[in-house]
Order: sequence, then structure tokens, then C-alpha cells
Amino acid sequence: MILRTPQQRKRRVESVSEHESPVSDRRLVPYVEPSDEMVCTYHCRQMVFRRCKPLWLITLCNEGELSIKVKSEFFAALNTAEKQILDFKSRLDTLNNDLCNSEEERQKYRDHFYSVEQELQASKGREHALKEQLLKEITDYQERYHTQLKRCSELEVQLKKEVEVRRNAELLAETAEEKAATVEKELLLVAEKNEREKNRLHLSFLHLQDESKLSLSRVNAELERMRIRADSFEQEAELLKKSLVDLKEQLNECLHEKSQLECKLSSCDSPLVKAGPSEYPTLVKHLKDELRKAEAELLEARQLKSFRMNKELLIEQLLEEKGHRQKAEMELNQLQEIQVHAHMLESELASWKSLLNQIPDVSCHDDIPRKFALLQKETIESMLKVGETNARLKELQVTLEMANLNKEHAEKECKLEKEKAECASLEVKKLELMLSSVSEECEKLKKDVVSLTKRKSGLSSSCQTTEAVSKDLETLLEQKEHSIRGLESNLCQQREIINRQHAEIKLLNESLSVETKKVKSLERENDRLRSEISLLESKLGHGDYSAANTKVLRMVNSLGIDNEAKCTIEILRAELQKAKAKLQAIEELSGQSDAGNVISVGIPEKLSQLKEQIAILEKREERYKAVFAEKISVFRRACCSLFGYKIVMDDQQRPNGIPVTRFTLQSIYAQNDDEKLEFDYESGNATILVNDYTSQREIDQQVDIFVRKMNSIPAFTANLTVESFNKRTLT
Amino acid sequence: MASRTASKDVITLKGSAAIVSEFFEESFVKVKKYGLPMLLTQNEEVKSYIASITSQLSEWLDAGKLQRIVLVIMSKATSEVLERWNFSIETDAEVVEKGVIREKSDKEIMREIQAIMRQIASSITYLPCFDEQCVFDVLAYTDTDVAVPFTWIESDAKLIKNPQMVKLHSFDTKANSQGGYNGFLQG
Repeated sequence: MILRTPQQRKRRVESVSEHESPVSDRRLVPYVEPSDEMVCTYHCRQMVFRRCKPLWLITLCNEGELSIKVKSEFFAALNTAEKQILDFKSRLDTLNNDLCNSEEERQKYRDHFYSVEQELQASKGREHALKEQLLKEITDYQERYHTQLKRCSELEVQLKKEVEVRRNAELLAETAEEKAATVEKELLLVAEKNEREKNRLHLSFLHLQDESKLSLSRVNAELERMRIRADSFEQEAELLKKSLVDLKEQLNECLHEKSQLECKLSSCDSPLVKAGPSEYPTLVKHLKDELRKAEAELLEARQLKSFRMNKELLIEQLLEEKGHRQKAEMELNQLQEIQVHAHMLESELASWKSLLNQIPDVSCHDDIPRKFALLQKETIESMLKVGETNARLKELQVTLEMANLNKEHAEKECKLEKEKAECASLEVKKLELMLSSVSEECEKLKKDVVSLTKRKSGLSSSCQTTEAVSKDLETLLEQKEHSIRGLESNLCQQREIINRQHAEIKLLNESLSVETKKVKSLERENDRLRSEISLLESKLGHGDYSAANTKVLRMVNSLGIDNEAKCTIEILRAELQKAKAKLQAIEELSGQSDAGNVISVGIPEKLSQLKEQIAILEKREERYKAVFAEKISVFRRACCSLFGYKIVMDDQQRPNGIPVTRFTLQSIYAQNDDEKLEFDYESGNATILVNDYTSQREIDQQVDIFVRKMNSIPAFTANLTVESFNKRTLT
Repeated sequence: MASRTASKDVITLKGSAAIVSEFFEESFVKVKKYGLPMLLTQNEEVKSYIASITSQLSEWLDAGKLQRIVLVIMSKATSEVLERWNFSIETDAEVVEKGVIREKSDKEIMREIQAIMRQIASSITYLPCFDEQCVFDVLAYTDTDVAVPFTWIESDAKLIKNPQMVKLHSFDTKANSQGGYNGFLQG
């Protein structure tokens, strides 16, 4: 508000003009300071009119001239002031117009400013949201990074372990290679030994072949001899048959004559009595002659009968020899099969030799089981390791899959974050551009305001309002500048954060690539171990074993062998019975031949020789039996006297057919015959049998302590002996 | 299979069934074991042979000395190994040495044995048929410090060259566990 009191000034002048000056009579008037009513009240800066004190109040002058001068000066000043006022008015108008324009512009700028503020707030909100999102993502990334670091450390630890295992395996492989080199050398020695053994076997085989050929030739020769003998015997038999027939006829004739003689004798009884005693000797002689003849004929008939029997025996022998010949032929065939089998064995030997050459750590055949034992140990150890590595590999596979999944997820998120960061950077750039434009506009406004204030410096009243407005605008501008600086600082921080994130993402990518490499190497090891596992499993399934830890046992008498043994036993029994029958027949033949004349000389001689040999062997056997019986009785008596037990040994058979030796011990201090101990002895192990004596409480306790717990039968028997001795001596 | 009129060289369904049932009646007896119907031989010689083997095997099992049992089927004429049933055994050393008791229900053990029996029975579908006469033998893989009984001798492993192998299930009694591998000759 511009205050103006020009009328008061006029009044003052008029009052002064109307009234004469108080100093017209040239009296000194005390100076009185003009009151405020009389002072110009324009609050302008230069305060021009404030100093326009009426000088005419002070000075003493002629009333007329001074007053006129003063008036003229006053009017001039008034004119100038009016002119100035008009100028100022015009300026005021222009300033008002400018103010209106500036107000319009200010409003525009204000609106624009509000819109910019809104946009800024919106951008602030977006930035805030982005910040929160980025913080969340950063925290997530950090967590994931920590987890991945942990996993990486765990994987590194596992890898170290695997590397150590691999080193150990490599060391083992090196030692195995060294062993293989030494074994190869030993195998060469083994091969040489095998060759020598092969040569020896070949020589023995040739020797056996020669022997078999010789035996075959002998058998053939014997067969031929037997055939010839059989033919001769057949011829003899035919001759004997003929003689037998003749002798039969003769015998019949003799019998007929004998009957006739008897008739004659019976009819001649009376003539003999009549004839007298002189004819008796002749008759007797005649009868005796006839009797002798008959006896001779009888003897001949018996001989023929025996020869017939011999012939039958010889025929049987011939058949047997034929059977032997057939057996020999069978054996020849078997020999051929044996030769084929020997060739197969030789080929197997060669294959085994080649195997020996391939197997390291083997110098001879005895080393093969040891090597198999070592290999089995190694396979078992490697199987265990393989199992462990399988478990580890599975765990690693699971972790790798998880890591791959996390990696893919992280990559996706990285991409997303990158896109977001790019979007945020684009927005930031946009905001920066906007801010720069806003700042430029603010500077423009500042400049305008400054110009306005400069313009307003000439004006007194009308410029105060513009100064206040400009002050407001300046404060607003300062605030906006401050906010813009804050936004710029935020932008810089965000840029730094984004750069840091980029660096972290790079590091993560590098670590991911390293992990993928590790994963690939682990996968390769996994495949290798799987192949080793399959090889070892195939070996296990195949039945390979290590002879150092394992031996393969089978029952001696399998079902087939039992059956074959039984068949052979039956065959042998049948042959034994036949041989016994032959022996009886031969003995009868020898008995009969002793009584009468023998036709052939060869067979009885042989028979006698064989009988002598049999007799000698039987005597020898009896002597051996006697000596053995003596020795064994001495041994038994000594055992009895030294250990205090009578020992009886029996061979028995279990229900399953397994033979077992049973020992029955009776103490010399036993009080009755029932006090006997029974033991079964089989393959070096003696087991005590339960009977009435051992089931007694005292004895059972001793058996429990000494035999079952301490596994000592001698201690048990010694203790029992002492106890029975004490009982005997006390009683 | 339709039944035909009886003639010398043609067999009827009834006759075939009679022959088959007669064979099984004479040689085998049906029993229920491990919850499954099984045919057990009635041949006394085979029974005594198997009884003697199983008694020795149980002795070795108690001592923890038995590592594997192998059933070998060979050609009678050529003694060539045609099939090899390999049963590996793992014994818990603590149970043998210290007498530690491991608990496992009989039901579970029977269930595992049943699975193996079923697998063995079903293996007939893919095993080759033998046209020749065959014999079987049992091999025992033991520790080297085992005393060889009187009726047993050391033998070779009777391996098959280039076998086809099939893995069977395993069962576990906590003291002993047994796994199986069947190898057979093909080609």
C-alpha cells in the first residue's frame, strides 16, 4: 500500500501563503522540528522527500523576496517532483504491468513447479520403491551369495577330499604298477618253470603212451595165446569127447559084462561048489583082472569127466579173456579220450600260462592264489571306496543340480535386475534431464527475479511487493535447489550401488563358471568310478576271489561220484564173486587132477606156481598180522600203563555214509565196566559222545569245564584219572 | 491243447498231465516254505547229500567263516559249466566275535527271502534250456584258516568264460546278509 499525503503538503504551503510568515517582523523564532504531519510520508528508498524540510522555516529573510524565491524554487521543485511523479507513475504502471506479467509467469512457473514437484514426488516414490526393491534384491543376492559361498566352500572341501582320495588311488596305482613290474619278472620265471613242467609232463605222457602200447601189445599177445590155447583146448575137448564116448561105450560094455558076470556068478555058485576049491584062485584072479579093468575104465571115465569139466572151465576162461580183450579195447578207446583230454589240458595249461603272463605279482603257481587273494582284497577295498565315492558322488550330484538350478535362477534374476537397473538408470537419466531443465528454469526465474528487483530499485512503494514475491521465489528456489542436490546425491549413491551390484554379479558369474568346471570334472570322475564299479561287480558276479583270503571247497563224494562209486563197487563185487567161483573151480580141478592123471601140463604147473605164491603171500600176511598184532598190543598196553586208559578203536559209519573212527576209553581205575568214554575222531577233531557215564552230574560238569569251555580233552581225561585214582585208593 | 484220440505216438492232455504229475509225485513233494509253495526232492541220496552240505555250511556260518556259496550246474558229458548261482554272504563281525544281538523281525526277513525265491522261480523265463543231462555241485568260499573237513576238498572256482550275468535281490538278517548273482553261459 502506498501511502500518500500530498494534500497535507499543499495545505502547508497554503497555510504558509495565506498566513504571513511568523518571521515577517524579523523576530527570531525558535526552531521547531517539523512534525510528522508536515513531513513527506513516502517510504521510498532514497527518502528524498523526508529531507525536504521546509528550509524556509529556518532562514530569516525579507518577507517578500525570500518568500518569492522560495516559492519559485518551490514551484520548480514541485514541477520537477510532479514530473518525477508522472515518471514514477508511468514507471509504476510499467512495473505493475511487468508485475502482472511476472505474476502470470510466476503462476505459470508455480503450476509448472507444482507439476514438477508432483513428478519429483512421483519419481521420489518410484525411487523409494526402486530403492526398497533394490535393497530387497541386494539382501536376497547377499543371502544367496552367502549360501553359494557356503556351498562353494563345502564343495571345495569335498573336492579336496576327492583330490586326496584320487591321490591315494594314484599312489596305489603306482605301487600296483611297481608290483606289476616285479610280477612280470616273476611271471617269466613261472613261464620257464611251466615249460619245464610241460616238457616233463609231455615226456611222462610219452612214457605212458609207450607203456600203454606195450601193455596193449602184451594183452594182444596174451589174447592170441589164449585163443590158440582155446583152440587147442577145443580140439582136445573134442578128442576127449570122442574118448569119453568110447569110454562110455566101454563102460557100458563093462557094466553089461559085470552084470553078466554077476549073473554068471550067481548061477555059477553051485557049479563053483561042485567044481571044487581048485578053480577058486583062477576065478578070483579072473574076477580081480576084470575088476582091475573095470576100475581102470572107471578111472578113465572119471578122468574124461574131469577133462570135460576142465574144458568147460577153459571155455569160461576163454570167455573171460574175450571179456578182458573187450575191456582192453574199451580202455584203448578211453586212452584215446584221455589223449584228447590231455590235449585239452595242454591247451588249458597254455591258456593259464598266458593268464599268468598277464597277471602281475605272480612268480609260480603257488603265487596265483596269493595274488587272487590280494586282488580280492583290493577289489573289496576298492568296492568299499567305490561305494563311498558313489554316495559322495550322489550327494555332489544333488548339490550340483541344486547349484545349477540356483545358478540358472540367479542368472535369470541377474538379467531381470540388469533390465531393472537399466530401466532405473534410464529413469534416473530422465529425472536428471528433468532436474537440469527445472534447474535451468529456476536459474531463468532467478535471473528474471534479479532483473525485476533491479527494476524495482527505482520504485519506492510499488516495488516492495515485488521484493517480497522475489524473496519468496528465492526461498522456494533455494529449497528446490536443496532438494535437487539431495536427489543428485541419491542418484550418485544408487549409481554406486548399481556398480557394486554389477561387480558382485561379475564375481558370481566367475564363481559359477568355476563351479561348472568343477561339476564337469566331478561328472567325469563319476563316470570313471561307475565304470570301475561295473567292472568290479562283473568280476564279483563272475566269481573271482583272492586266494590269500578265500579258498574254494567242495564235497568229495558228490551225487554223481557216489553213484559211480556204487556202480564200480557193484561191478567189483560181481567180479570178485566170479573170481571166487573160478578159484573154487580151480581148486576142485587141482584136487581132481591130484587124484588122477592130468592131460595138459602147462595149466597145472602155473596153478601150482600160483598156489605157491599165494601160500607164500598168505604166510607173509599172517606174519605181518602177527607182528602188527604184537606191536599194537604192546602199544596199547603201553598207552594203558602210561595214560591209564584202555583204548579200543572202531571204524563206524554215520547215517549219511561218512565213515568215522570211534575210540572207546576205559580207565584202569574204573570201578565197573560201564565207566567208558566214547569219542568220535574225524579229520583231526575229536568229539566226546554222550552216554550213561558222561551224563552223570560229576562227569558232565567236568566235560562242560574241560572240553566245552577250555576245549582240552587231555585235561579232562587226566582229571578223571586222578579222581578215579583217588576214589580207588581211598576205598 | 485239444485232446486227441489215444494212439501210440500221440499224447493227450490227460496223459501229459498224468506223466507230469506222476513225475512230480515220485520225485518231489509239495511243501509251503517262506510263505510260498515249493517242491522238495524225495530222493534220499539227494536229501542226504544236501543235508550233509547244509550242516557243514551252517557250522561255517556260525563261525563267520563262510564268504560265498556257489551252485554250479555242469554238463554230465563234457563237465562244462553251464550255470553258476553265486550267493555272496556278509557276516557282521561284531555278532560273531562279541555275540552282539541285532534285532530284525522274522516277517521282514521272510519277506526278503520270498522276494529272492520268486525271482529265482521267475528266472526260468530268460534262462536257456539244457537238452543234455546235467549235474550240480556246491562250492563254498571260506576263509583260508578254516580246517578242511574230511569229506571236503579244495577245488577250482568253476568259472564260466564270458558269462551273461543277472543280479538277484538280497536279504539281511542283521547278522548275515546275502546277495545273489546268477551267471549263465550263452552263445
